[in-house]
Amino acid sequence: MSDVPAQPAQPRAARPPRPRRGATPWVIGIVLAAITVWAARGVQIDIPAIWQNFSNASGTLMQLFQPDYGFFPQTLSAIEETLMMAVIATAIGSLGSVPLAFLASRATNPSRALLAAIRFLNNVIRAVPDLLYAAVFVAVVGTGALSGVLALFFFNIGILVKLVSESLDGLDRGPQEAALAAGGTWFAADRVSMLPSVAPSFASQVLYTFEVNIRASTVIGLVGAGGLGVLIDNVRTFYHYHYLSLIILEILVLVLVVETASSMLRKQLAR
Amino acid sequence: MTDRRPGTAGDPQIVFDGVGVTYPNGYRGLSDISLTIPAGQMVGVVGLSGAGKSTFVRTINGLVTATEGSLTVNGRDVTTARGKQLRAVRSDIGMVFQGFNLTGRTTVLNNVLMGRLYSAPWWRTLLGAWKSDDVELAMDALTRVEIVQKAYTRASELSGGQQQRVGIARALAQQPSIILADEPVASLDPPTSHVVMEHLRRINGELGVTVITNLHFLDLARKYSDRLLGLRGGHVVFDGTGADADETVFESIYGRSLTGEDVLDATPNLETS
Repeated sequence: MSDVPAQPAQPRAARPPRPRRGATPWVIGIVLAAITVWAARGVQIDIPAIWQNFSNASGTLMQLFQPDYGFFPQTLSAIEETLMMAVIATAIGSLGSVPLAFLASRATNPSRALLAAIRFLNNVIRAVPDLLYAAVFVAVVGTGALSGVLALFFFNIGILVKLVSESLDGLDRGPQEAALAAGGTWFAADRVSMLPSVAPSFASQVLYTFEVNIRASTVIGLVGAGGLGVLIDNVRTFYHYHYLSLIILEILVLVLVVETASSMLRKQLAR
Repeated sequence: MTDRRPGTAGDPQIVFDGVGVTYPNGYRGLSDISLTIPAGQMVGVVGLSGAGKSTFVRTINGLVTATEGSLTVNGRDVTTARGKQLRAVRSDIGMVFQGFNLTGRTTVLNNVLMGRLYSAPWWRTLLGAWKSDDVELAMDALTRVEIVQKAYTRASELSGGQQQRVGIARALAQQPSIILADEPVASLDPPTSHVVMEHLRRINGELGVTVITNLHFLDLARKYSDRLLGLRGGHVVFDGTGADADETVFESIYGRSLTGEDVLDATPNLETS
């Protein structure tokens, strides 16, 4: 016998009963699987056919792995146009988004009716995909960079108003209360307290928007809205896969460079 | 800084007449408050958390709207004031907050200039193009709380005590006749608390500004008030001088007897004193 008194046995009845998990996870899993199978049958995904086509297209694939670097000088103006479209669209989009973001945040807009109206408007703006904007503006103002910039502008308003108003919602409202208590209007209080506080996250979201614009402006050219996309559409039509693979490589490098630079800048902003 | 102050010391300035506050969620913040605060008085408000101290001071500048009774400040009805009228009432009342409520990402000077918002036109506010008179007022206010050398420093770089002095300067820049201080020292250590309270007392003494301060600690409230208001459950249960506030009074406010936790300087604090 040791001198430490033996621990009295804990009565098992004191433990809580193990909670029952139920069949819910199984039901959810089966339903999701069923929906997926239904969808695959609906669009006629045929695995053997994929393999068949894959072998047929091996020549094309080989071309895609051999970019024609000699084509590079002819892509420069399209790259330039893509960058310019992204810069202009980001600039006007971010300027336009500031007043709308303040009207779309519960923290900065005391009028519930106006808030609901602005939020609804922005949901409509966001519901339209960038490619569709591009197609519409190509129809309205013709092919070229202008329709691309207009498409990206609406796309940016949609993103920025949502992200910035959410940042505003999360801010400390003490300084705003102080400005209101000093006899300032809501406009004045938001300007002197909420605007400086939201500035870093706004700048960070503008950089993010610029990244997205670079990527988007390569795609919207497919419907004629300027930039690299137009070039992609041209070379694809004539089956110049050596050229196409060079353009894809260029987009990859461009996006990587812009993303790296932007994430470095955003780290600085977060300080 | 005394030109705008209506009335002379001792005139009734803040008049509560049957004031009650019921919040939208049904919570009863204040009940049947009737009292008069004369111009130039230094008032300390004590009570447990939830007793209604914060609601009490916030009804005075309309940050909380009184739902019953009437409340006048310098002859103007606060309970019915809206828009421009309400902002006019507020411009005459400075406010100092527990959490300082400074915009950390901008300069001390810009924070103090927030006290000039009422008189500034919207485009000046938008551009941050303050009138030189307003900048002078802000600098004077910073000088008064002995922190003018930090005017161009970011507010977030200051210590808590320094930030609260900036908060007081912001209130002073309004050239107010009243300053409300809602737990101004609750986030500060004891020596810094005394510095902040001394500044408020000096503003009261030298400028004749009425100062109403919510305080958690009874000894601070006694030391820095001409008049002590005790709140409990939204009612005023004590209204007298610090000297009148004995053990019985204390029990009526706090519902128990005094302990070391109710006074700031009860325990020696070797690190800070």
